[in-house]
Amino acid sequence: MSAEPQTDAPKAPNAEVLADFLRRMRLGIEDGLDPKSAAQRAALDLPKSLRDAVERLSQRLRGEYDEDEWGFDEQFAEAVYPLFEFLYDTWWRVEADGVRHVPAHGRALLVANHAGSLFPFDASMILGAIMKEHPLPRWARFLVLDWAFVLPFLSTFMRRVGGVPASPHNATRLLQQDELVMAFPEGAKGTGKQFSERYRLQRFGRGGFVEVALRAGAPIIPVAVVGAEEIYPKLADAKPLARAIGAPFVPITPTFPWLGPLGLIPLPSRWRIEFCEPIELSRYGPDAADDQRLLFDVSEQVRETIQEKLYENLVKRGSTFL
Amino acid sequence: MAIGRRVVIVGIASHWGAELARRLERDPAVDYLAGVDTVPPPIELQRTDLIEADIRGPVLSRLLPGTNADTVVHCGILWYPEPDKPARILHDVNVIGTLQLLAACQRTETLERVVVRGSAAIYGCEGPSPSFFTEQMAGRLPLRTRFQRDISELEGYFENFARRHPHLVCCMLRYQPEIGPDLDMPLVRYLSLPVVPTQLGFDPRLQLLHADDATGALEAATRNPVCGAVNVAPSGSISLSHLLRLARRPSLPIPHPLFGPALERLGRQLGAGPVYGDGVRLLRFGRGVDNQRLRTEIGYEPRFDAVAAVRDFAAKSRGRRVGPSLHPGDLVGRLARVGG
Repeated sequence: MSAEPQTDAPKAPNAEVLADFLRRMRLGIEDGLDPKSAAQRAALDLPKSLRDAVERLSQRLRGEYDEDEWGFDEQFAEAVYPLFEFLYDTWWRVEADGVRHVPAHGRALLVANHAGSLFPFDASMILGAIMKEHPLPRWARFLVLDWAFVLPFLSTFMRRVGGVPASPHNATRLLQQDELVMAFPEGAKGTGKQFSERYRLQRFGRGGFVEVALRAGAPIIPVAVVGAEEIYPKLADAKPLARAIGAPFVPITPTFPWLGPLGLIPLPSRWRIEFCEPIELSRYGPDAADDQRLLFDVSEQVRETIQEKLYENLVKRGSTFL
Repeated sequence: MAIGRRVVIVGIASHWGAELARRLERDPAVDYLAGVDTVPPPIELQRTDLIEADIRGPVLSRLLPGTNADTVVHCGILWYPEPDKPARILHDVNVIGTLQLLAACQRTETLERVVVRGSAAIYGCEGPSPSFFTEQMAGRLPLRTRFQRDISELEGYFENFARRHPHLVCCMLRYQPEIGPDLDMPLVRYLSLPVVPTQLGFDPRLQLLHADDATGALEAATRNPVCGAVNVAPSGSISLSHLLRLARRPSLPIPHPLFGPALERLGRQLGAGPVYGDGVRLLRFGRGVDNQRLRTEIGYEPRFDAVAAVRDFAAKSRGRRVGPSLHPGDLVGRLARVGG
């Protein structure tokens, strides 16, 4: 699945075009036509790009678009992609290394460190790196912390851009469909850690991600993300509030909740993303997924690789914000 | 199968029981067909013996052995209240009725197969659930409605029964909700409203089974049952927003804390009673199940996938609307046709 950039993006209907349309319509009515035929005649003179845009909107509203069985909506993802492109290029000035390690087709499990307390943007930036830097861009699916799927809006948004609830069943099924899957084994422990703990990898669960990769015969590609730790530095945790709303944690950052909605704007840190050599697991076979020792070994190997690359890229990045 | 079969359908007055009987009547391999219910079936049946009995009572234990049935199909599990079956007796019909039926089955020595039309509600409806439940995943999530708990309870009894009678093939079908223009069910009525209320910010992934596939799967499972639970669902899934667009129904998003009382009121009007099924939660979080076992083991390939089922429903129920369509898709479409 590759994203074809929209070549003939429609220009926003500007006031001039609208005024033109209304003027022609008035002329039509003055000629003695009924409003419907007048609108018809006026519409014929509208620029083609606008008519195409209306046609596309109409198709969307009539449900003539595809969602796959996971609820991933490629049209929607393409529509919101420019926002992430802006964050990628301008806001966080992401530099990506080793994107060539991501296979152009076929299954693979990307495993990355997780950070960014309020909204972990790392998944979207890894996706951005693949979409922008890879010679054959493709959408990746990502496993999302369960709690996000209870929330209105966020759950719908996540699902449409390729998120699925973090469950080994989902990960295995996606890999078996030859998708590219992103997993964050640190989970809430990674995003919820204090700012003082930044870039120190937390426990990698129980190695469940290795089990999934073994069962599906997919290679693991460790990914180190530098920069997400600084976007919402978590200074404290509003524990009673978190308990009250059932969230894993509610971070207090230098700007949130003090500045209200403005506190939701992430800080513009510089980012580096490095994709490491794939770890081939196919030689073990799917039965090895029951070997707890192997799971821990591979899990530890992935964790060490990411930790090492994190330190390396922290040095390469230099200054945090400038 | 070469042997002539003697089939008893419990709950013949239900839509699915009657449809199954109609299909089996056409099959000469079926020697004897009988239906059990308290009221006659909604359609005319040719050679089906009607046995008037209430499955909640012990009378079935006396009647069933006399039929010498080798196959019992239980279609009597109710999702929603019906005119003669108010909400308060649904638990009795579903759980106690199934227990009585199993007791009757135990006394029927000729019996070989028991097929139950159950529900996928046993998986529950939660936001962070796996996108496709497989049959082993029942009972992992909390059950929040009476119907979900009832289904879970009766599946427990059924499993016990299967364990104690290893020579019987006991098949539990877990149905996703059905859709069809001719179906008179609360969910279909909900989707046929002129303006469909939805829960603000939520867009559940649904699998609505085409009515033809629902009967087809039941027939396939009656002919070739397998031991254990089988999910009955279309392939793929469709989100509620996509569904409503295809069906040309404008939606009215309501913040979900307000949706419960509002829907309960609406639900009573639609015939769902004080929401007994998993309606509200299903319309918030949705549910997907894996239908591989149905396709490979029972050997029934659903003719409609999740999107095709909705397209078919939309195409066939369009004529019902009164007045011009107010759906924004149609309005913009008209403008686009004018412009093009």
